[in-house]
Order: sequence, then structure tokens, then C-alpha cells
Amino acid sequence: MSHGPGTAGGATVKERADLALNNEFLRKAVKFTTERLKNGKLKAMEEHGNWEEWRERGRQIRLHTIAHLDYYLNMFVENARANGVHVHFAETAQEAVDISLSIAERKSAKSVVKSKSMVSEELHLNHALESIGVEAIETDLGEYIIQLAGEVPSHIIIPAIHKNRFQIADLLSEDAGEKLEADTKILAGYVRRRLRAKFLEADIGMTGCNFAIAETGSMVLFENEGNARMVTTLPKTQITLMGMERIIPSWADLEVMATLLPRSATGQKLTMYMSGITGPRRAEDADGPDEMHIIIVDNGRSLQLGDPEFQELLNCIRCGACLNACPVYRHIGGHAYGGTYSGPIGAVLTPSLQKNIAEWDDIANASSLCGACYEACPVKIPLHDMLVYLRRRKVEAGYGNKIENAGMKGFATLLSKSGRFNTVIKLGKIGQKFISRGGEIRLKVGPLAGWNTYRVTPTLPKKSFRQQWGTLDAEIRNGLQEMSPDIKKRMEHAIKDRAKGGGHGHGHN
Amino acid sequence: MKVSLFITCLSDAIYPRVGEAMVRLLARYGVTLEFPTVQTCCGQPAFNSGYWKEARATAKTIIDAFEDSDFVISPSGSCTGMIHHYPKLFEDDPAMLERALALQSKSFEFTQFLVNVLGVTDVGASFPHKVTYHPSCHGSRLLGVKEEPMALMSKVKGLEFVPLPHAEDCCGFGGTFAVKMSDISGAMVTEKSDHVKETEAEVLVGLDMACLMNIGGNLRYRNEPVRVMHLAELLYEGVK
Amino acid sequence: MDTTKTHEEWLREMEEKSRAKQKTFIGGISSKLRRPMVDDAPPHPFRGSPDFWNAYEWNEQERINRFTDNFVSVGGHVQRLETMEEVRGFITDKANELSAKYIVRQNEPELAGLNLEDELPDARISVWNTDPEQHWKARSAEADIGVVMVDYAAAYTSSMVVLSSKDKGRSVSLLPTVLIAIIPVERIKTRLGEVMVQFDESGRANLPAGIHFISGPSRSSDIENDLTIGVHGPGVVYALIVG
Repeated sequence: MSHGPGTAGGATVKERADLALNNEFLRKAVKFTTERLKNGKLKAMEEHGNWEEWRERGRQIRLHTIAHLDYYLNMFVENARANGVHVHFAETAQEAVDISLSIAERKSAKSVVKSKSMVSEELHLNHALESIGVEAIETDLGEYIIQLAGEVPSHIIIPAIHKNRFQIADLLSEDAGEKLEADTKILAGYVRRRLRAKFLEADIGMTGCNFAIAETGSMVLFENEGNARMVTTLPKTQITLMGMERIIPSWADLEVMATLLPRSATGQKLTMYMSGITGPRRAEDADGPDEMHIIIVDNGRSLQLGDPEFQELLNCIRCGACLNACPVYRHIGGHAYGGTYSGPIGAVLTPSLQKNIAEWDDIANASSLCGACYEACPVKIPLHDMLVYLRRRKVEAGYGNKIENAGMKGFATLLSKSGRFNTVIKLGKIGQKFISRGGEIRLKVGPLAGWNTYRVTPTLPKKSFRQQWGTLDAEIRNGLQEMSPDIKKRMEHAIKDRAKGGGHGHGHN
Repeated sequence: MKVSLFITCLSDAIYPRVGEAMVRLLARYGVTLEFPTVQTCCGQPAFNSGYWKEARATAKTIIDAFEDSDFVISPSGSCTGMIHHYPKLFEDDPAMLERALALQSKSFEFTQFLVNVLGVTDVGASFPHKVTYHPSCHGSRLLGVKEEPMALMSKVKGLEFVPLPHAEDCCGFGGTFAVKMSDISGAMVTEKSDHVKETEAEVLVGLDMACLMNIGGNLRYRNEPVRVMHLAELLYEGVK
Repeated sequence: MDTTKTHEEWLREMEEKSRAKQKTFIGGISSKLRRPMVDDAPPHPFRGSPDFWNAYEWNEQERINRFTDNFVSVGGHVQRLETMEEVRGFITDKANELSAKYIVRQNEPELAGLNLEDELPDARISVWNTDPEQHWKARSAEADIGVVMVDYAAAYTSSMVVLSSKDKGRSVSLLPTVLIAIIPVERIKTRLGEVMVQFDESGRANLPAGIHFISGPSRSSDIENDLTIGVHGPGVVYALIVG
């Protein structure tokens, strides 16, 4: 798998995670911020109310749009063209890079100011621009910091979540050529002054796209700093990179997304700025770009279309709520995932976008399948189920781990017959005689090594439940209690209810 | 009416006392549990690791085992949750799909059955201890078991309930995850135990022995004197 | 790069390529969805917000109160004023207090009526896009204060909506250090959706190039999740509710 520069070293998720786990500062920083964002979201959900209804509405709008993506994308393209936008299509990352570079060359651009775009991270566009001598400047404060550090974002919403202010002060001091104090105000003030000049002199402004409105051909950006407004207001040329699934039908639908996205991302009612850009500046306007390009990028997205197990991935609105809810992300941070997208969404999206079966298992294994991501998702994407589907596809494609393959075959053989299960328990009891002390096993070797590094393993009791059952059952039947009519009625009612289709347990199906 | 106990591997092999507590507790309401001995594992380890062919084999054993039961009660939200995945396993096999759906509709986690079906919240127990509760992910998120254990504990005399900070966070068990990603899992269970310790509870209670074995094993490793038990055990001990 | 082509020629070529590619790109999506391309609008039963929300409405006083509370909670300032006279007084006082040397304002009759030029003889006041020779973006970047009329507002999120036009620069609400935005009270709606549906209704051809929802001062929490105000956009924002 290709990872960008600055990605934590290590070839596997496990190796990268181990590096992260040994980085006390990183763990503390990630934990602190994700907890704050998560609590902010919970508070915002409660304050707004009816969250489940909003979530369901968001999901339905996304499902509908993706199910008719050809229709809505076409409509968006026609309307954007009518607004005077130059629309381009890129099936691959390389095509998107080529189009961006040819615009930059055509404009003889010296510098490009960029506002946050995850698609741009997918394309590794900054390096491509630099390779033709165009300076690419990230202008989101967090993105600017990690660009100086030569790293990639480790969180969708808070890219520099893994850096503390002393590390940031060092980076910015080097940039400034003078010592800056590790004070947030001073550091942010420096970046404001430094980038103000860059905005005014840049030839091209480059943005991502949160949503694209099909009916009016408008593209919508959510942000807090004002840099995306700068990028779409000051340079003479604007290039917008847009994942082909960013579409929603109408402005009315935007209200639902505007309700879900900021609350889920940061707990805000709305980001400080939300801009709807409909084409380049009108002839009589005195600001806004003269020329506007939108590059619609596939780069692996269509692999999920028409795949019933993964199509819902395209519903993602990139809020980062699943990262903040994920206990694994909290401990290992974003770089351990090794791709552009991290956390639960990254664990599913990275292999799905790359269609890289051999790499699937590694990332998909970095989850305890606890379902916190699904619960946090504002459009209800069943990420925990998708992780299992990825694991299954890897096994079916013949990329399973050899030891595990053998183990699972044995598992099925042993556990599809209760008699064999009994034999296993008996063997276990013989085996544990050699390693247990005082009803516990503390030995850190073989298959118990990982487990027993953190825990003590209980030993098997003298008799399993099934071995005790005969005696227990006889004793119970001996002193049998009469069932009360009320309980009987309730049980009969439950059976009747079931026949009518009344279920229980509210999974996501 | 046939009410069957789905014991689950862990309670069968390592924690038979949990099954016993369920049997004895339900007997007090005239509900006599049957124990179809042909049952084995729900197949979750294979299912979650992607070995669905193998998972289907064990799922079929479970479906057969409980074919003629009216209710199937387990001490694990996770294993009952696995039964909720059976329809997906058999989505291309209409005959098995129908049987899988039938099993799903009659399967209950222990407290679901006690509270929602039998309508019991006060078992008449007394348990004068400081208790905290870990809501296991699959029970609470997949089955939606959230209120039931709270309702039961609130009626236990003398029980002082202390909420567990960050209770909804996964304990890090995750089946084969604890082995494959042992250090991440270790970090998660360590954090969970830290939270348990913060509550100063004498007893940690839960509805899933896998998670409790994980947290309990870590607490024991750190020599923390917290007693770890299934809610069925606590309730039964309280009425004995 | 082929330098013999004019830029217009190059754009035309790109357009042809794009139109050719559009067929395969979108056709590919249809085939992935396993059906022919849809020509008729698919029924969209879940368009927009849920019904209970669309029926939600506050009275005027409530709208003012909620707008104020929200705006203040994110670090903005709100003044409730009766008349444009009072607005003039407020801006004049503020400009003097801040020793503002340079003010830029939109070219709107309500703002012209304030006669700020007479009230603030020491400040340079320029009116957006009134002189084709001026570099208006640079002028706005130098300004201490930008003054704009707000087209719509939504109380629920304390959002002010400004639309671009020949007379209304996007830069005026973005580049100055301080933003003063005047909201005629009748323009305050309850919900965002009340503003947004108007853009659906007016239709593509009637939309301005820039529609900006501004809900407070520029901010960032990118450094240790520590809130900083005024990162790129104005750090000080006054919302003057008038009428």
C-alpha cells in the first residue's frame, strides 16, 4: 500500500499501532481531543433533539442520491456548466492530477493556496504540483502545520491532532525564522499574517467539496477559519476537487446535511462559515474567481456502487464522528491506519477504494467490532458489519492466514458436534494441569503470550455445565414451582406477537 | 412451552455457575429450562474472522438444536447477537433462511427475557455491596439491551450502584482481536480496568462472560480486588 | 504545454474531452447500478428536513433572543437597535473606539444613507466596486472594518446570510479585521431551511456566485483543541439587529 510521507513507519497496522502505543504523548493528545469532540457531539445531539429521526432522514437522502447517482451527477454537471464552470472527469488519481497540473501550467501558476480536501490527500497532489515548480500551500491551520512537518493528516477534522503546541511552536518558529512562543494565540496570529499574503498573491485557489447540489450546480463548503472563503474569493482561478459521490439533490436537502455534519464533527450547530459557490464570478462582480474548474473524481469509488455490502460507504459525509467514538483509534491514532482515511471509516474505505484484497485483512483486523462507529455515524453506515465482510472476502479470495485457515477448519469440525466439543474440554483440563497455579494461568508463551501480557487466564472448572446438567435438572424438577398465570400469559403473548412479526432487539436491519 | 438454555461455550466450559444461576433463578418463576445437549458454539469466532463456511456449519448445529424451542435464552448478548447474524449467513438459502429467522425471533439474552418477556424486575434479591456495570457492546448496541439490567439492579436491596465512567467503551475483547491485535486490546482493557478502579466498586457486573473474563483477567493481573460476576449470578446470590 | 493555442482554444478542447468522458463516466455508474441511465426525475420522498421540523417556528422576539444567545455563545457580539440612526451612532462610536483608519462598505442604499463619510472625517471610507481602477480585494484586505447588510438570517444557528453581486463583494465580509453586519429584524427567520428553500425556488439561473452563511467570528481549534478566534476571517463580528 502506498502511504504518504510522514506516515508512521511499519509495514502492518500491528507494527504501526505498536509504535503509536509506545508514544505516550500521542495517545494522550488523541484521547483528549477525541473525547472532547465526542462529548460535544453528544451534547449537540441532545440539545437539537429527535436525533434518530434526523439520522434516518440523512441516511435516506444519501441512499436515494447514491441509488440515482448517474441521474443526479449528470444534472449537477449540466447545471455547473450552465453556471460557467469547466467540469472535468477523472477516473483515477493520476487523471485528476494530470488535469490539475495542466490547468496550473496553462495559468503559468507560481502558487496554489489550498483549503482542506481529503480528495487532494488521496491524490498526493501537493507533491505533484511541487514537481512542476508550483508552490502548494495548505491554508487550514492544522493542515499548514502538518505540511510544515512533512506529514499527512491523522484525523479527518483535526489533521494535527497528534501534535502538541510545543511541537507546533518549533515548526512555526522555523517557518518564521524567529522564535515563536508556544501560545495558541501567538502561533495562530503568525499563521494569519503569513497566509494572508499568500492568499492575495496566489494564482490558483484549490478546494475540496462537502456537498454538490445537483439542481443548481452549486458546491458547498463547511469551515470555521475562513480559509476556504479566501481560496474561493481571491485567486483568479479556482479548482475544486470533488469525490463523485458528494452530490445531494437540493438546497432543501442541504439543511439536513448542515444539521448532521457540524454537530457530528465538532458538536457545533453550524460551522462559522458555510458557503455555496455557484459558478465563477459574474462579469460585473469585483471578486471571486474569473475561471472555475470542478474535477469530479472516481478513484475507486465506483467499486462500491452496485455492491450491496459496501454501497452505503458512499453515503459517508466525512464528519469524523466514527474516529472520535472508536476506542481503537483513540489508542493508536490516525497514522497507524497507513492510508489517507483513518479510524473505522478508513479501515473500510482504504481497502475498498484500492480493491487490494491482500492488504484487506491487516486493516480490517484493527477493530474489536464493538459497533461504536455505527452508533456514532450520522448516516448510519454499518461499518462494523463491513469490516466482517472485508475479512470474509479475503478468506474467500484465498488470502487467509494459513494457521488461521487450519484453525477455523478445526473449529468447525470440533464445534459442529457437541461430542467433539466435550472432548476438547477434557483435553483442555489435562493440558492446563501443567501450566496452572492456584486456579489461574499466568504463563506468557505460545497462543497465550499476547493475552497473558495483560491478563490472567482462568482455568477450567472440574465439571463443565453440560457435565453438571443431569444433577441440576433432576434437582430443579424435584422442587418444581408452579408457573404463575401472569407469567404464563406473558409468555404466550410473546409467542403470538412473534407470529405477527413483532421483533425484539433493534439492530440495524 | 419449551424454554431452552443456550449456554454458550464460555459459560459451559469455564463459567458453569452462570448457567446454574440462570436455571435456578428462572425456576423460581416456574420456568423450567431445557438444555438441548447437541448445542455447541454460536460460530461467532469464525464469522467475525471471515470464515463463513465454517460459521455456517456451527450455525446449523445451533439451529437444529433449538428447532422445537419456544424461547432460547443465553447469558450472552454477544452470542444471542450472533444468532441475529444467522439470516445474513443463509441469505442465499431460502429454507435455512426461514429457520434462521425463526430462531432469531425467539432468541433472548437473559435480562431481555426476564424483564421484557416475563415482566420481572424485582427478583427479591438483596446484595449489600457497591456495584458497577459494564454494558457489553454487542448486547447494548446490537440487541439494544440497555434499560433491562438497570431495572433489575435498581430493585436489589442494599445494592449501591456506581456508574462506570466511559461505560460504553469496548473492553477490548473482540474475540480473535484480543489475540491478533493483542497490544491494542491490552491498552483497551487496561483503560477499562482503570475506570472500574475509579468507581471504587467491590463488584463489577455484566451480561457477557467473554468481556468479564477479559476485564476480570486484567484486574486480577494487576491484583485489584474487584469481584467480577454475571448479573444472573448476582441476582441468584441475592435471593439464595 | 502547447503555447501556440490561445487559452480559449485550450478550454474548448478540454470541454470536448470532458463531454466525451462524461458519457463513459456516468454510463459506467449506470452500469454499476445495473440499469440504464435514468432520464426522468426519480421520486424523492425524503427531500429536505422532516415535517415536524418544517413546521417549527419562533415568534419575532424569540428569534431575536435565540439569535443573540447563539451568536454570543460562539464569540460574536449582538446589538439590538431601533433605527438606522442608532446604527450610524454605533458604527461611528466603534470606529472611533478602534481608531479605524480605513473602512470598506458594500454599495447599498441603506449603507449610503448612514453618511459615514460625514461622521468619520478622519477615516478613509470606500464603497465596494465604485471605481473600476481600484484593486478591491487589496482595499478590503487593508480595511480595519467592513460594513455589510445581511440578506437573511437564521436564528436557530445564529447565521447571517450574505449574497454576492456587483455591489456586494465577498471580500467585505471576509478580509477586514472587524465585521459589522446589519440585520433588518424582519429578515431573521427561525430555521436555516427557510433561507435555503428560497434558493431552490429562485433556481440556478438566479443564484449569485457566492452565498455565504456566517455564524460567528473565524475560529480554529487545531492547536491542542484550544480555541483561537480570528484565524483567517474577521475575529471581531458585530451583528446589529435593527427595526
